[in-house]
Amino acid sequence: MVKINYKNIFKNNELLIAFIVLVVFFSIGSNRFLCIENITNILRNSSITGILVLGLVLVMINGDFDLSFASAVGLLNIVGLVLIDRGMNMWIVFLLMIIGGILWSLFNSFLIIKIGIHAFIATIATWNISKGLIYWINKGRTFYGNYPDNLVFIGRRTVFGVIPVNVFIFIVIAILLYVLVNKTKVGRYLYAIGSNKQAAEYVGINSNKYRYLAYILHGFCIGIASVVLCSKLASGPASAGEGYLITVIASVFLGATVFKPGFVNVGGGILGILILTVIENGLIMVSVPFYFKYIVQAIIILLSVSMIFIKSKGQGPGIV
Amino acid sequence: MKENIILRGVELCKQFGATVAVNNLSFSLEKGDFLGLIGENGAGKTTLIKILGGEYKPDRGKIIYKGRETNWDTPNQALKKGIGIVHQHLLYIPEFTAEENIFLGKEYVTKKILLDDKSLSDNANSLLKQFPIYPSLNLKERVSNMSPGEREIVEILKILSYDSEILILDEPTASLSKNEAEGLFNSLIFLNKEKSLTIIYISHKLDETIDLCNKIMVMRNGENMGIINKNQFDKGSIIKLMINQDIQKFYPDKSDKVGSIIIEVKNLTTDKLKDINFYVKEGEIVGLYGLMGAGMSNVIKCIFGVETFNKGIINIQNRKEFHKTTVAEMVNEGVYLIPGDRDKYGIFTSFNIRENTTIAHLKYLFHEVILNKNNESKVAHNELSKIHSKYADLNQHLDEISGGNQQKIIITRWLMRDCKLLIVDDITVGIDIGTKKDIYNLLRELTKRGKGIIFVSSEINEIIGMADRVYTMREGEITAEFHGEEINQKNILENIL
Repeated sequence: MVKINYKNIFKNNELLIAFIVLVVFFSIGSNRFLCIENITNILRNSSITGILVLGLVLVMINGDFDLSFASAVGLLNIVGLVLIDRGMNMWIVFLLMIIGGILWSLFNSFLIIKIGIHAFIATIATWNISKGLIYWINKGRTFYGNYPDNLVFIGRRTVFGVIPVNVFIFIVIAILLYVLVNKTKVGRYLYAIGSNKQAAEYVGINSNKYRYLAYILHGFCIGIASVVLCSKLASGPASAGEGYLITVIASVFLGATVFKPGFVNVGGGILGILILTVIENGLIMVSVPFYFKYIVQAIIILLSVSMIFIKSKGQGPGIV
Repeated sequence: MKENIILRGVELCKQFGATVAVNNLSFSLEKGDFLGLIGENGAGKTTLIKILGGEYKPDRGKIIYKGRETNWDTPNQALKKGIGIVHQHLLYIPEFTAEENIFLGKEYVTKKILLDDKSLSDNANSLLKQFPIYPSLNLKERVSNMSPGEREIVEILKILSYDSEILILDEPTASLSKNEAEGLFNSLIFLNKEKSLTIIYISHKLDETIDLCNKIMVMRNGENMGIINKNQFDKGSIIKLMINQDIQKFYPDKSDKVGSIIIEVKNLTTDKLKDINFYVKEGEIVGLYGLMGAGMSNVIKCIFGVETFNKGIINIQNRKEFHKTTVAEMVNEGVYLIPGDRDKYGIFTSFNIRENTTIAHLKYLFHEVILNKNNESKVAHNELSKIHSKYADLNQHLDEISGGNQQKIIITRWLMRDCKLLIVDDITVGIDIGTKKDIYNLLRELTKRGKGIIFVSSEINEIIGMADRVYTMREGEITAEFHGEEINQKNILENIL
């Protein structure tokens, strides 16, 4: 059912080469890099950001944007923990967090689509609103509340023996969204709107309807990501989520250099987040100071994107 | 004489992926020539001039300019050496004035930092004096406020400011009115005769090319089919060189067999339109004609649902009445609109040919949730071959194929599902003769099968040649209706001015 077009992968393979080179480099630098435990670790670390990447990809395919998602995850996390601390049933809270993510995204999309504020500005504003709300709730200190033991099931335990629950969730969502975007009419319409909104209207595609849909699915991902985060941390730091913002956005752009060069896509986003997570993990394994990750990640991003433009120079139209 | 040859192309080749745009092409151009470059869309004309102007590097072959082989990396290098291209889609900065556009990139500065407006003005004025092709041009006017004809002149002046020796124009009259085109012709003739400017002129309008040029080069499939001198100009044989076919009759036969009413527009009113009433029956092509801005585009956009209307009723087959329309509803009813400006309203650049073809009726063609690419390809290919569309591979993107073939794809996307009424909005602009003929025949075929066509065009000859009935418009109103013999230039022109 899910067919990967092998020809495409090897046509624009700079990112894959980079991925392989990195893996080789780190496994030489540390003999514990390629063991099962570390690989599982890498996957665990990419699950929350990966889910956020999937959601953001949907929104960006049809030309929209969101800068508030990371902070929204932090907000939902803290609200959830407070509710659990006050005694509400954990699973109900999780459900509310998912609904909260969707509502958050609907709020954004209302501002962007109905009122017409540019996505960039609108979501900077809502980002700050959620940041303010987080500080209001936890007064700037990490929140530690009471929680049932099985809170950490999703975030830290495994299912079917070896697969961590959060990785399992990521894989399921990844498959669903990959199919939705690449193999269904909905995905086709999203790309149409992102490519030429006016032409999309001329073929009868209701662009607002699909923009709302993308934001709703994105909100769903925000909600799920916040549930996984809550279950993993079991605490509400003031900055929870903020660190994700750049990594997720960078992954989406990185992903636009592969599989469907020049256009945001699901497969590329997944590869992007894996690469960035591998870099972060690998640098730790070879005992390099943590701040190196920013430089290495930045270099990878610059190299990948440059490759696309260098390849297309002097060829005129036809190469994206 | 060899000394007279200013430009030579020697075995030029250029390929984009699997598409060979220019195929081993050689030619020579003498100083003072006014060369017409003729050929179907996809023949390679635009690619050739972009090679000559430094925008593309040829894969093989060389260009010899004034006796020396060229090796340009950018069009600016070619421009500085004396070869400039005026593109079909003009490259001006809308918010800048004419003089600012003319000296774009070469702005005059005082003391190396500050912009020197006085020098700019003075130099612009003297340029206009040196080349008085449009003496009344307001150099201080913003180009966005200018008419298409004036913009064309600004672009030409920009090139002339580089002491050009060769001026290449790509379809300069495509969006000009008849008067503006004549003004342009006079300007070009002046530049050619009085200022010894060598001109290469691409146009699909054979008549004007024959009038202007002293030589015509015909291209077909990327090859040079021959250069013909003025004393041997013969429309028929030129067309034969272009498309390897004889054109006996340009427009297909009209028909007077009509059926019942497909659509009736009653009292359609908007800010621009005043009480529009008309109808279309099965089997007929109804022309809608007027000056630019008279409202034809607004009428069809209101019918199709891309524009809203305050008052009015759209009645479909006496069966359903719409007080407001949406595109989705109209498509459902079998009413489709094919836009003329395909870059703006038609082409999805991120889609390949297959996706661009199936997008309009995607949900009607494929009911399954998960799309099957092979199935889609088969269906698309099937439909595209009916209209003789030329492409190498369904995975290509539309910027790799010619304008005429792009238009065929936009048309095909709508015809993939049966229609009742097809509205076409100036869809043959900038398209070669061969493709135009295919489109005309296609429209006639549709009417023979009982479909109706609303035919909007900016070319009066096209309206006269194609329409069974014509409505003329002026300033938002329908002024007259003509049938059969009544459809002629005199009647139409009287009612649109």
